[in-house]
Amino acid sequence: MSAGKRALLPEAAMLTVLIALPWLAPLLHLPTDVLTRSLIWGLFGLGFDILFGFTGLLSFGQAAFYGTGGFVCGWLLTSHTLSSVPLALVIGTVTAGVYGLIVGYVSLRRVGIYFAMITLAFGEMSFFLENSPLAKWTGGENGLPGVPTPTLHLFGHVVHVKSGWAMYTFIAAIFFVGYLIARRIVASPYGVVLRAIKSNPRRAPAVGHDVQRYKLSAFVLASLYAGLAGGLLGVFQGYMPPDAFFLSTSGQLVLSTVIGGRGTLIGPLIGAFTWIELRNALQQVPHLGAAWKLIFGAIFVLIVTLFRRGIAGEIGAWLERLRRSRAPAPAPQAFEHARAAAHVPHQPEAAQPARRRPGAAVLEVRNLAKRYGGFVALADLTFEVREGELLAIIGPNGAGKSTLLNVLAGDLEASAGQILFRGSDITREGAIEVCHRGISKTYQINQLFADFSVRENVEIGLLAHRRGRFRVDCFRSFGTDRSLRASAEAILGKVGLLPFAEHPTAEMSYGEKRRLEIAIALASEPKLLFMDEPLAGMSPVERAEAVQLIARLAAERTVVLVEHDMDAVFRLADRIIVMQNGVKLAEGAPDEIQRNEEVQQAYLGGVEAHEPA
Amino acid sequence: MPSLGLFLSQLFNGLALGTLLALVASGLTIIFGTLGLVNFAHGALFAVGAYAGYVTYNLTHSFVLALAVGAVVTGLLGLLLEWGLIRRYYARPPEDQILVTFGIGIVIVESLRLGFGGLTKNVPQPSWGNGILNLHYFFYPTYRLEVLGIAGLALFGLYLLIYWTRLGLIVRAGIEDPLMVRMLGIRVPRVMTLVFGIGALAAGFAGVVYAPIISASPDMGNRVLVQSFVVVVIGGLGSFPGAVVGGIIAGEILSLTSMFDPAYSDVALYALMALVLFVLPRGLLGTEGRV
Amino acid sequence: MSLLEARGVNCYYGDSHVLFDIDFDIEQNEVVALLGRNGAGKTTLLNSIMGVVPPRSGSIAFSGDPIHGRDPHEIARRDIQLVPETRRIFSTLSVEENLRLAALTAPKPLEIDWIYEVFPRLKERRRSRGGNLSGGEQQMLAVARALIRDPKLLMLDEPFEGLAPVIVRDLSRVIRDLVRAERTIIIVEQNVRAALQFAHRVYVLNNGHMVYRGTPQELLADAELTSAYLGAAV
Repeated sequence: MSAGKRALLPEAAMLTVLIALPWLAPLLHLPTDVLTRSLIWGLFGLGFDILFGFTGLLSFGQAAFYGTGGFVCGWLLTSHTLSSVPLALVIGTVTAGVYGLIVGYVSLRRVGIYFAMITLAFGEMSFFLENSPLAKWTGGENGLPGVPTPTLHLFGHVVHVKSGWAMYTFIAAIFFVGYLIARRIVASPYGVVLRAIKSNPRRAPAVGHDVQRYKLSAFVLASLYAGLAGGLLGVFQGYMPPDAFFLSTSGQLVLSTVIGGRGTLIGPLIGAFTWIELRNALQQVPHLGAAWKLIFGAIFVLIVTLFRRGIAGEIGAWLERLRRSRAPAPAPQAFEHARAAAHVPHQPEAAQPARRRPGAAVLEVRNLAKRYGGFVALADLTFEVREGELLAIIGPNGAGKSTLLNVLAGDLEASAGQILFRGSDITREGAIEVCHRGISKTYQINQLFADFSVRENVEIGLLAHRRGRFRVDCFRSFGTDRSLRASAEAILGKVGLLPFAEHPTAEMSYGEKRRLEIAIALASEPKLLFMDEPLAGMSPVERAEAVQLIARLAAERTVVLVEHDMDAVFRLADRIIVMQNGVKLAEGAPDEIQRNEEVQQAYLGGVEAHEPA
Repeated sequence: MPSLGLFLSQLFNGLALGTLLALVASGLTIIFGTLGLVNFAHGALFAVGAYAGYVTYNLTHSFVLALAVGAVVTGLLGLLLEWGLIRRYYARPPEDQILVTFGIGIVIVESLRLGFGGLTKNVPQPSWGNGILNLHYFFYPTYRLEVLGIAGLALFGLYLLIYWTRLGLIVRAGIEDPLMVRMLGIRVPRVMTLVFGIGALAAGFAGVVYAPIISASPDMGNRVLVQSFVVVVIGGLGSFPGAVVGGIIAGEILSLTSMFDPAYSDVALYALMALVLFVLPRGLLGTEGRV
Repeated sequence: MSLLEARGVNCYYGDSHVLFDIDFDIEQNEVVALLGRNGAGKTTLLNSIMGVVPPRSGSIAFSGDPIHGRDPHEIARRDIQLVPETRRIFSTLSVEENLRLAALTAPKPLEIDWIYEVFPRLKERRRSRGGNLSGGEQQMLAVARALIRDPKLLMLDEPFEGLAPVIVRDLSRVIRDLVRAERTIIIVEQNVRAALQFAHRVYVLNNGHMVYRGTPQELLADAELTSAYLGAAV
């Protein structure tokens, strides 16, 4: 089956299952209502999975939007402000989205644990709003009875959707559309960026993606799906219940998604079906009516501990392993051959680029300072970087070299001073803006996108370079962009990683990962490249290759290199700056630096007299 | 305009509630500071304390014994949970740690529901708590004043533990630099188990103290959980003084706003949290690092 | 039998191979200097002895007992102490609390009053929070903290880094006294001259490899060696 067709398998399978269920259900003793309710939760979960499974944002307050969509829609209909159910659903959904924008904006000021706690609090706040101050509209603890069923005008016919299979069809159709959209979203460049943010939240902005906006848009998406599902709940039940706002609703969503499988889109549907059916089945058994929650909770703990991928995830992984074992395995020697052959393209000494003549200043640093409370990391630094040169920054431990690079690359904020790039003041600019200006950094400790292939790592950087800081291109397809692939392969070729383009990052050796680290920085087409100890941890052979690579990179752009390996530094650098304790100690050509007495002192000794032991 | 009497009465209510929240939040915050883990099961432990106290009181008719047993049982449960399950999660991403404690919380609450039923159980006040005090400007239930005293004493006990004992010394150092603590010969995993137990004990103790006021139900911990999260966000995660200050502030906000419109008191609390997030992301007394 | 014996030690940070087949010994009452440029692996070697970075292969034995792969708290209980390069004093604890914490699990800790005699500055500041001390005072505290446990092996990672000359002199005096008292010490330094004052023997690391072992006199005499591995002629 072609790759294109295979990509549509899930949609086709979903459609088949949805269509077949009305016939299968009676055979399996599944009541219609269980299926319909599962689909509503599945829709709720589509948005949540994009937020949590794909972007990594664990929100405990999704009930806020579920309830908002449900009650806005329900109120519009029960107060007879509107008679069209579809229109009320749309308005409810949009309202939920707007609420999501507000809550998301406040909540996303923090990450991780704080984010989870804050969304939990907002969820509860929404419940309190519904329960009391807004009770006039929401019915308080009674909810809104009398929500009408939809009447649709389709192709000239008037269709009254009653309960039972008609309602199932109505909701299944909406779910399917929601599923199609969600599939497009995750397969789009936008979706890839979301996953990149989850994979390495530090590197994603460094390659130029506006992480906050992506997160906020994902949050709004989740709230839209939630709002629509909430509205459908009211229509389905003919009654809008206050428990839509309960903390336990948000909790059920989390449980369902984790048990069903995060990052699969169908996880929430499977998880919801499991507990709804479990509840349904146990209600027949005396004394165990309420036990379904306990059982579901215990299953949840089990899955989080042992089967992290959830039901759909584990099945998917198992199928993937099956597919890999069936595919012709590349002979292990072939892999090693490729590895041995995949060196940085070698150039004979004669063809090494001649020593460049550095041009005008491309980066000017004036009186730069960085303080942490009382501790001064950088003090009154002034120097310039000239176009086309390779400037090395060296110095003993604690000199502030890495801090300097971090400040220049926008990862840290300067306490005082100025940074000018081609005449523009970039002092206050963060990593994202700095990246789009043409400045990139490679990290001392690899910052790769570990869940992606080698090629995708580079493509993530290219996506920012081509699309800008933020774009919601949900309906484009990521995998089919050939020019993107070609550009990525060109960069991989430069660092000698082309044979490994499709390999998962985890399979790469340390030296190869270091090269990938550089490739990611190259994706932003930097005119100025900062390199933080690129040779750290390399074997002598890897070092020699890396030095060649850096020399070639420096021929095409300006490079600022922080390194400890003196042999490499003296071979590569046009100029050297020596730092000590946050201050510039010396500056000049390599041979000047070697002869400089102060530098020798800094490295070798500050104790005056050689006192007898 | 509320009368002076009402105002003072609500002020005291706020203090009583505030010290209770401070107690629960302190447990939460030292667990986070030392273990790096936000305990989403904290509300469930609060409920366990209340039920353990309820059972003990029914058997012995001694409130003091109920307090002791409630706190100890919850503390032991905390020790068991940390040792048996939670410690396997320290290397996992924070979201997974949240998920597992959340799941544990559900299992605990549903077990309580299965064991005791879903209806609220009335926990009577201790006999020395009955009655009403005439405090000149207003009348005030005796027990509530005693709650203030008991919770205050418990907080003081925690303070002594953290700042005047060897364990507290280890905990304070461990919040800052657990590796260095290990390099000084101290077995950190054991300390972590103990700290989780202490945090659980604080929550359980608060559960027993508060049970006569709000009655015991399986879901009683939910609201306390969320409120204590708000308290630690306001006060600063990992800071014991922050939990105390944040708790009192939260208690007063909840009480005083309810004078004007009870419907909005919780909302007011969350609004304050949002404000703190904007202005002081690390909380009032929060420390660097961690989050 | 050497007090500490490391054979064939290989250490990694993740995938990064940072120590290659290191052999290293120290005898009782000896002072050994471990030299080399930044990133050479000196701190990593101390960390591997202390159990912070367990070796992926090779062995480390202390008084004949294997200690490689053990948890830092077990190593500390064998009376090995490390004063880290970044000092890592507890800034929210007072000077006295820092010292008391260190003494907690020591079988026979030194008297705190004796420590205050050796470090009079710390006595003056005994109630101050660690975070309020100057850099020099923090370094003194870090050494005092290790010392109060009366360790059989004391490891100092760049003790003179970033210190004002006056403090360097004071600290040198303390270390000299420790040497005279025949304590066993490993001292890692970039400040070559400072380290060579005390050392009986010298090891030099370069890019994770052990490239030289000998006496200070031999090292200082070999100009080519010092310039190649230490950056310039000493």
